[in-house]
Amino acid sequence: MRHVARRIVQGLAAALVLTAAPSAQAQDYPSRDITFIVPFNPGGSSDPLSRAFAAQLEKALSRNVNVENKPGGSATIGTNLVVRANPDGYTIGLGDSAALMYQPLVNKDLAYKTTDDYEIITKLADVPGMLVVRPDAPWNTFEEFLADVKKSPGKIRVGVSGVRSISDMVVQQFNRAADVKITTVPFTGGGGEALLAVMGGRIEGAVGYGGNTIAQIEAGKLKVLGVFAKGKYEPVPNAMSIPDAGYNATIPSGYSVIAPKGLPNDVREKLVAASQEAVRSPEFKEFTKKNGFVLDLKSPHEVSAELGELRNEFVGLIEWLDKKSAAK
Amino acid sequence: MSAIDGLLYGLSVVLTYQNLLAAFLGALAGTAIGVLPGLGPVAGIAMLLPVTYSLSPSAGLIMMAGMYYGAQYGGSTTAILINMPGESASVMTCIDGYKLTKKGRAGGVLSVVAIGSFLGGTASVIGVMLFSPAMADFGIMFGPAEFFALTAGGLLILSRMSGGSLAAGVLPMALGLVLSTIGEEQVTAQNRFTLGFNDLRQGVELVALVVGLYGLAEIMSVVETIQHQVKPIRVGLREMLPTRDEMRRAWAPYGRGTIIGFIFGLLPGPSATMSSFASYRLEKAVSKYRDEIGQGSIEGVAGPETANNAAATSSMGPLLSLGIPFGSVTALMLAAMMVHGVQPGPLLLTNHPEVFWGVIVSMFIGNLMLLILNIPLIGLWVSLLRIPHHIFLPLILILVVIGSYSVRNSMLDLHMLLLLGCIGYVLRMFEFQLAPMVVGLVLGPLIEKHLREALFMSLGDISVFYSSPIAVGIWIAVLFIMTFGLQRALLEKLSGIRFKRTALGNVE
Repeated sequence: MRHVARRIVQGLAAALVLTAAPSAQAQDYPSRDITFIVPFNPGGSSDPLSRAFAAQLEKALSRNVNVENKPGGSATIGTNLVVRANPDGYTIGLGDSAALMYQPLVNKDLAYKTTDDYEIITKLADVPGMLVVRPDAPWNTFEEFLADVKKSPGKIRVGVSGVRSISDMVVQQFNRAADVKITTVPFTGGGGEALLAVMGGRIEGAVGYGGNTIAQIEAGKLKVLGVFAKGKYEPVPNAMSIPDAGYNATIPSGYSVIAPKGLPNDVREKLVAASQEAVRSPEFKEFTKKNGFVLDLKSPHEVSAELGELRNEFVGLIEWLDKKSAAK
Repeated sequence: MSAIDGLLYGLSVVLTYQNLLAAFLGALAGTAIGVLPGLGPVAGIAMLLPVTYSLSPSAGLIMMAGMYYGAQYGGSTTAILINMPGESASVMTCIDGYKLTKKGRAGGVLSVVAIGSFLGGTASVIGVMLFSPAMADFGIMFGPAEFFALTAGGLLILSRMSGGSLAAGVLPMALGLVLSTIGEEQVTAQNRFTLGFNDLRQGVELVALVVGLYGLAEIMSVVETIQHQVKPIRVGLREMLPTRDEMRRAWAPYGRGTIIGFIFGLLPGPSATMSSFASYRLEKAVSKYRDEIGQGSIEGVAGPETANNAAATSSMGPLLSLGIPFGSVTALMLAAMMVHGVQPGPLLLTNHPEVFWGVIVSMFIGNLMLLILNIPLIGLWVSLLRIPHHIFLPLILILVVIGSYSVRNSMLDLHMLLLLGCIGYVLRMFEFQLAPMVVGLVLGPLIEKHLREALFMSLGDISVFYSSPIAVGIWIAVLFIMTFGLQRALLEKLSGIRFKRTALGNVE
């Protein structure tokens, strides 16, 4: 009899431990190191952005946040890993807007399709594209450039970072909005080969991003004609905003933080709060300001809505492009 | 600031204990990264990136630069001793280096390489110092058409680089080209031959190929033949030092290697690896002892190893003076600058002279440290050959697996490593050359990219390929090198004299 009683007590104790375990885990979150997956190579601008964020997230959570680079496949390989990871809050990653929204439209083999397939923790930053030309180019304003584009359709070439990359799409957006034809030329080196081609006079212009391009503008090696974003872009305050001039061409290179679907509620809340704290920290603000990122603190819902709009924009643009090439 | 002022200013920056320590640790870590097969400079620097963030910007960059050129010193060690390149820029060194080891000259060859690396590195720093503002524009002179000439011409030239029958070189090269088409192509991001596996979009990693072909395949063939270990003869001081003859023959390749490496370093692409291919091929064409190259000659080792060091060093030039990274390692350094709040770009020299001159001058000191570090280490490396196989091979196996995984943290690369190891083993069995396969994988994507970029740029007009003087110049040089043998034979026939030496052979 005593034997049985002991069994029951043991069983109860075990049951107690088992039921207590998940909530204890969530309360203790994070009880071990967190992995932050960056779907790009170290080098380039998204890796430093991730590391700057991870350093602040470490402070907010008092745990190590280990940055792991999982590059390849237009950032889908790393993104897939995050989406498929165990939803315990210990694997999160950088979400690149093109990988999240454009890639599912053209690739059926991904673990995600829409924002319903992963959780958005926070928005990090946007980087608007800048239209740059040689300093001795005949155009001093965007209007002059546009006039020449209208005069000789298809003859003005602008370097982008790959066919149907974000930089290509923003130029196509402009082509559609202004009903003109700028020819895009893909330069895929990733190390600013498009900028080199502009400096060398091989093409007329390029779409450049972030600190690398800003440095060339400041040094007088390139001239900026316009920015593909509304309002003033701090690093080049005198450059014209192209959308403000009436041409809807605004797709930025955007970054957010994502996690796999199905995080326990309290883990998600903790992660969202800590991430927003990290984004608001003076160190992260300083980093983004220095490197041409535009801080954009949005709630997960707002990011989700924004990505949805971006998806619609991509779908519309692709249809427009397909129709145009079919008409040829 | 003139170069002399800059040098003095740079010295004042570097000669603090923190920066000297950074240079030393970088060089030391780089040597280790280079020596360990599979673990190359890109993966190594990426792993140590967080460490450099806790240092000052100059110290961080000095350390990273040290790792890069340090890796070029170390990369040749395992190539020469055990026929496994420590990193891809040392693939060419395997061919002659390992044969020399079999002849018992391991110590001497390692010394020749260390001295060549030092000379190439140092001469290259001087070049960077003197020409750094001007040479930023050198990269601008090269566009898609010029690069197409360089890479496609390079492929033609390199198809016959290490002797053997034509098929023995061309088939592996074709195989390399085929492998290079797997995955997502860069220009339009289409998937090719991925068979529905998303992971295959990342393509075949160069490190997995090099380590598989050389590392794994070598281990397999050693195990299979149960061959006797290359018994290093008791290494006395005499075996450690190069013979007078070896040194005499090394000078000309040193000079040519330095020039080739310096130029390649100023251009975008995997410059250290490409410069070692180019140097080997050049030695094969113009060296006085060209007939011995491939059979274990000092030229086939001294040239490429000098070139890859010169290239690693001069690639810092465009990074520092233009702020545009031309390769994976310099892209990493650029990212480090951003994290440190140092804006890379043409204004770096004005805004952060301590970084600009600090890094340049640190390369002098780092190269000197490496020479001092490496010469005594040679004895240690050679004695590694004495470790029994049943201990040594498993160790190497663990290292190559870790190294291959660390490049991009991918399990796929390990599966590839295994597969490529088996392919390499079979190719060896039938006496195919392995280096052309590496060449195919390196150049294939570059050729395609530049071809397509050039055509996009010219709106489909093929005249873009022959309207640039630089591109035409490169094609003429390619033609010249390819028909070198024919020209020589023709000359001999016409003049009736046997030319023993060619004009170019006496470049020294």
